[in-house]
Amino acid sequence: MANDTATTGKKKRRIALGCEGSANKLGIGVIAHDVETGAATVLSNVRHTFVSPPGTGFLPKDTARHHRAFFVRVAKQALSDAGVRIADIDCICYTRGPGMGGPLTSVAVAARTLALLWGKELVGVNHCVGHIEMGRAITGAENPVVLYVSGGNTQVIAYAEQRYRIFGEALDIAVGNCLDRFARAFEISNDPAPGYNIEQLAKQGRVLVELPYAVKGMDCSFSGILTRAEELAAQVKRGQKGPEGELLTPADLCFSLQETVFAMLVEITERAMAHVGASQVLIVGGVGSNIRLQDMMGAMAAERGGSVYATDERFCIDNGIMIAHAGLLAYETGFRTPLEESTCTQRFRTDEVFVKWRK
Amino acid sequence: MATDSEFPCSLTLSIPFPDARLASVALRSIAVDKELSPLVQRSFSTTTAADAETESQSQSVLQVEYKAATNRMLRVAVNAFFDSLALVIEVMQELDIDVLEPAEHSLGDNS
Repeated sequence: MANDTATTGKKKRRIALGCEGSANKLGIGVIAHDVETGAATVLSNVRHTFVSPPGTGFLPKDTARHHRAFFVRVAKQALSDAGVRIADIDCICYTRGPGMGGPLTSVAVAARTLALLWGKELVGVNHCVGHIEMGRAITGAENPVVLYVSGGNTQVIAYAEQRYRIFGEALDIAVGNCLDRFARAFEISNDPAPGYNIEQLAKQGRVLVELPYAVKGMDCSFSGILTRAEELAAQVKRGQKGPEGELLTPADLCFSLQETVFAMLVEITERAMAHVGASQVLIVGGVGSNIRLQDMMGAMAAERGGSVYATDERFCIDNGIMIAHAGLLAYETGFRTPLEESTCTQRFRTDEVFVKWRK
Repeated sequence: MATDSEFPCSLTLSIPFPDARLASVALRSIAVDKELSPLVQRSFSTTTAADAETESQSQSVLQVEYKAATNRMLRVAVNAFFDSLALVIEVMQELDIDVLEPAEHSLGDNS
């Protein structure tokens, strides 16, 4: 265990512990920033997911209970993997929002307790900004248009003048929520995630069924597609033929749903890229781990002379290290969250955050 | 305590901690979040146990007073409090400085 303080007492690294629990993933990670270069190193990244039975979604109360039950275990693992001493930790970062109220608060209570026991300051972090900053750090993408897609969020974001500005978004439900709820229609397993299992099943799809394509300018909408997909799923389960007389399988519907919603995402992302003159795309959020989406986005970006950046499931699925990283970036600019203000909020717009650490 | 006509259902909890530091940490960690319903009111304080003997045991009891419009609301609020409290206590037991780094932070002879 290296001593981070040289003989002169000057620190070589700043270190933060980050705690995330806005949805069904409890993640705790430890990050280090080199004091001179700012280079970020992941010291640990531990996660435990609350998986609900097939055909169901995760409810706030059960999710909060899961996070409370696993916090100590996950925290201990994260600290042990990182091999840091409490004295070396500069701050405790936690997800302020957006997300589910009960789960967010359950993690915040534990984070506050740690901060008080250890005498550390707290940093409340915006979940979306956490995803963006981690994506930037891991991929090295300079100034891409960001597509943030998960079960809870769907936003197209571009950085301008110290804000992550939302150029387009889902008007009703997130794309991941559409996929997750569709999975329930066929009781597709939620382990490790419903979207992952839909992706695998879609590979066996052969028939592209027409589903409502709902792009509205820079934004898009998914609730109508979901309704239609659920309707078709009910028909398939009854053994009915499809709208064109064909026999459909769950795999065909998974395939058709993915193709439709991903094409919509590619369209609104491209619109934003044209608007700001960008050629790079960074995909973050749990849905970003979908290879088909990455391929479709990559094809569009290549046509524009650019490319797509994506991270693997360690970083694009909700995790604690992204909270630690974004939190430490803010901490280094002097940002603090006083204990009395360390609440959580279900709604927290990405552009509410003043991105002081960038020009 | 006189009964509040608007909040007739009340409950006072006294939770003893090993010392004032821990009682204060628990209070400060949990008190931040407001009660979700306006029909529930809550106040925190630390007090000293009646049988406290030493200085370190002073102010080591976390006292919470709940009052609510109905018994159901009282029960829901108090149950939620216990959930948070259990988490805080577990974090203290497993992750306090002297637990994680016992050799460096020995508290000496606690006789």
